[in-house]
This record gives sequence, C-alpha cells and structure tokens, in this order.
Amino acid sequence: MKNSTRKIFISIILFWSLSPLIWQIYTSFSTPASLTEPIGTTLNRWTLDNYIQVLSANPSIFRYITNSTLLGVYTTLTTLLLAVPASYALIKLRKELRSLTRSILLLTALFPYVLLFLALLELAKSYNLANNLFLLSLPYSALSMPLAILILSSSLNDIPIELEEAAKMEGLNLLQRLRVVLLPLMKPALSSTSILVFIFSWNEYPIALTWLSKTEQLTLPVAIARLAGSSVYSVPYGAYAAATVIGAIPLLMVTLVFQKQIVNGLTQGALKG
Amino acid sequence: MIVLILPALILIGFIFGYPILRYIWISFHTSSVANGLIPQFNHGINWSRLINDARFWQDVLQTSRFAFVSVSLELVLAIAIALFLNQPFKGKGIIRAVSILPWALPTTIMALGWRWIFNSPYGPIDRIYNNLTGESLNLLSNPKITWIATVIADTWKTTPFIALIILAGLQTIPKDLYEAFELEGGTQFKALYKITLPMIIPYILISVVFRLAQAFGVFDLIQVMTSGGPAGSTESLGLYAYLNAMRFLDFGYSSTIMLGSFVLLIMGCLTVYCIFKMTKISIQK
Repeated sequence: MKNSTRKIFISIILFWSLSPLIWQIYTSFSTPASLTEPIGTTLNRWTLDNYIQVLSANPSIFRYITNSTLLGVYTTLTTLLLAVPASYALIKLRKELRSLTRSILLLTALFPYVLLFLALLELAKSYNLANNLFLLSLPYSALSMPLAILILSSSLNDIPIELEEAAKMEGLNLLQRLRVVLLPLMKPALSSTSILVFIFSWNEYPIALTWLSKTEQLTLPVAIARLAGSSVYSVPYGAYAAATVIGAIPLLMVTLVFQKQIVNGLTQGALKG
Repeated sequence: MIVLILPALILIGFIFGYPILRYIWISFHTSSVANGLIPQFNHGINWSRLINDARFWQDVLQTSRFAFVSVSLELVLAIAIALFLNQPFKGKGIIRAVSILPWALPTTIMALGWRWIFNSPYGPIDRIYNNLTGESLNLLSNPKITWIATVIADTWKTTPFIALIILAGLQTIPKDLYEAFELEGGTQFKALYKITLPMIIPYILISVVFRLAQAFGVFDLIQVMTSGGPAGSTESLGLYAYLNAMRFLDFGYSSTIMLGSFVLLIMGCLTVYCIFKMTKISIQK
C-alpha cells in the first residue's frame, strides 16, 4: 500500500472513531445559545457552566463513578476467585468432559443476557437483594465467567506440564503450586481477563437498571440513561454532554493504558473459544 | 478436581438456568399487576397471545433488520480495517488503541451522544444536510429512517471488536502461503480471495454468530437513543419485554416474549451457522 493511501486510511479510521467523542467535548464547552447554531459563529461560544452544573448536582457524578468502580472491583475479584480454580480443573478433566464443558461455556458466552433481567429482578425483590452493589456483582461474575475461564484455561494450557510436576516433586501442595509456579506465569492472561471483566461490569446496563433503584446506588450507565430520560426534547444539551465527557474519562484512561491487555484478551477469547 | 470447577459452574448454571426455567413456568401463568403478581395457571393464553401479537412480530422483524444490517456492515468494515492493520507500519499501536475506544466506552453514554449528533435541527448531521438540500433530515423523528441511525451507532461501537478478532485470524496465516501463491503467478487480489478469506472464515463465523446474538438482544442503545420510537419503529424485542415487565407490570407475558425471542434467535443462529458451513465447504472445493 502506498504511503499516501495509508495516510488517508488512517485519517478515516481516526475520524470515524473519534468524531462522536470530539463532538461531545465540543458541545460540553458550548453555551446554550451557541448550541442552536453549532456550526455558525455566535458570540460567547465557550463556557464552563455545563461542567459547573454537572459537578454541583446532588448526588454528584463522582458518586456514580465510585459505584461503578466498586462494582467493577467486586465483580473482577469474584470472577477471578472462581475462574482460576475452575480453569485449572478444566484442563485436568478427561477429554470428553473437557470439550463438553467448553461447549457449554461457549454457548453461555453467546447468550444475549438481556433476557435474564426479569428473573433476576424477581429474585432481588423477593429476597431483598436489590440496591446492593456487592450482590449485583454475583450475576455479573456469572456473566463474565465463561470468557474468563476460556482465557485462563488456554493460558494454563500453554504452561509446560513439567514445571508443575517438578513443583509437585518438591512437595508443594496445589495452593502453593498455584501461587509460586502457575499464577506468575499466567500474569498476562490474568490481567487481560481482569480488564475485560472490569469493562463489562462498568458498562453493564439492563440488569443494573432493574436491580438498582436508589439514586445513591446507581452505576454510571444507569445514571446517564436516567438523565437522558428525564427531559427528552430539551435543547440545553450542554450539561448532558458534560456528564458524558466526565463519565467517559475513566474508561478512556483504562482503554489507553491497558489496550494491549484488552486486545490480547479479546483475541485469546475468540481463538481458544 | 471437580470440586474446583463446581463453584463456577453452579454460579453460571444458576444465573443462566434459573431464569430460563422460571420463564418457562411463568409463561404458562397469568402474573401481572391485575392479580397482584400471584401466578395463576392460564392454559397457555400468553402463548396464543404472543402468536397473534402484531407488535411482537413487528419487533421480530425490526430486531432482525437491525441485527442483520448492523452485523453485515460491521463485518465488511471490520475486514477492511483488519486487512489494513495487518500490515506493518508506524504508529499502529495508537491506531489500534483509538479504534477500540468506541467498543470500550459505556453504550448508554455514547447513545446519548449519538442522540445529540442526530438531533434535528441542532445536530451537525442535520445541519449539513440542511445546508445541502434546504430540508431537515429528521433522522430521529421520521419512522422510516430512524432505524438507520441506530444501525450507524451500533456499527460505530462494535466494528472494532469484530476487526480485532479478524485481525487475530489474519495473523495466524503463514507468510509462505502467499509467497508460494505469488511464485505460481497469482495476483494479490486473487490471493485475498483464494487464501486470506478462506483462512479467516472460522473467525468471521464466530464473530458473526456472537454479534448476531448480541445484536438480537439489543437494549441499551435503543432505549437511550430512541426509546423504541418514533411510532415504535425502532422497538427491539428486549425493549418490548422490558416494557411489559416494568411498565405494564405483566411478568407472565414479558417472560413469554423473552422465551419466544430466544427460540427465534436459536433458529436464526442455526440457519446462519449452516449457511456458513455450506459456503465454507464450497470455498474449500
């Protein structure tokens, strides 16, 4: 490919991926008057009012960001706690049993989980589990478990069996072998899995929407959607834009910092699944 | 060994299995706010209602249209992007990081963003259209075209995901295959058709089946961008089931819609899978 064609292609990709975000940022710094004339020039184009409005809201947007982060941490820890032993067991299973388990995991990973919200809501209502972020992390962990087990077991599979056997000869028990030999070697897979699970739980919407109703417990996606529902046709959109920009920053950072792990995790999940 | 895997399997089995069993049971009962949500057996009234429910079938068509058009578009774009990213060039890491951003950001946040971009008369798209034609596009208020706006937003969000998987597939193709092909006098274009595409078919297959299933369950994007409107023209099955449960408080019928959608989805995925299997065989021959 010629250098000039490549440059055009790169520009298209960058423009396509970034322009919606840039438009949000642009909107978030615009005065209400200038929003009605987005392309033409008016006086007093720039303002910080939208951000002041969002940050002075009660509860503040940081409350939702904190909730989402907590939920993400709970979910990631629970998922890893169950998925690490499960993936170890999976590669030691008999061949037929192993491929059966893997097919079941793959099928559950394909399941459009939006269909689960009603039964989970009923459970939450009848056993008083709603509005509790830690309990919400249990269904989240179940939803991320298939991908986590697939990624982790494929990385365990790549570790030469002699390594573990040598450790066994030294008299290390399973827990010690995991800690000293296996987990350090699984580090790349563990970080890919953690980051993917974290992103999933940070972004999850339908189940959080029905599970959480108290304003101070909402996660960021639900809070943003509520904002959207509150006044559908109102023109002063600047405050919404400011909220979406602040809301996008945490994951923007996560994606840029961990892009390698994200890419590896996604491709591992697809390749081995 | 079994002890180690059981906790995970029990959690998965419960979270996926219980709802399905519960839906099957409750779909044969009346459980709505009218009877205080105390399920009463109703001889399959929910199911006959589903079969005769024009809104359900309209949503089936709309959801399938959304899923099919988005996934096709995403696939074509993703193959192009993956082929491009598979070449060596400077700054690839940055391009890759930027292109996965749409996938990583919360759907509701960007759905709200897209609603503003497509807003008429204040959004940029409508402005540009207006300057060119003197008319308003009304992308979010014209029932004939609003679904296209949802397809664009979905394509923007999930193309990177498919591109990454296909890129992973491209990287498994050994370079000497191409060298051998060139030695025999094959052109670059022919190599794409004869080597590249057949080799990445498994990756295309898995991403298409996965994406079709996810797109069929579309919910966040539609709820925030259009709330199913205008005139129900973008309502998806997930949204319809949600409305029945949360707004009309009819849990019995909501469960029936979800089960019905699920059955249709399985049939759809099997069809796609079979078509792919058949074309794969014909390509190999």
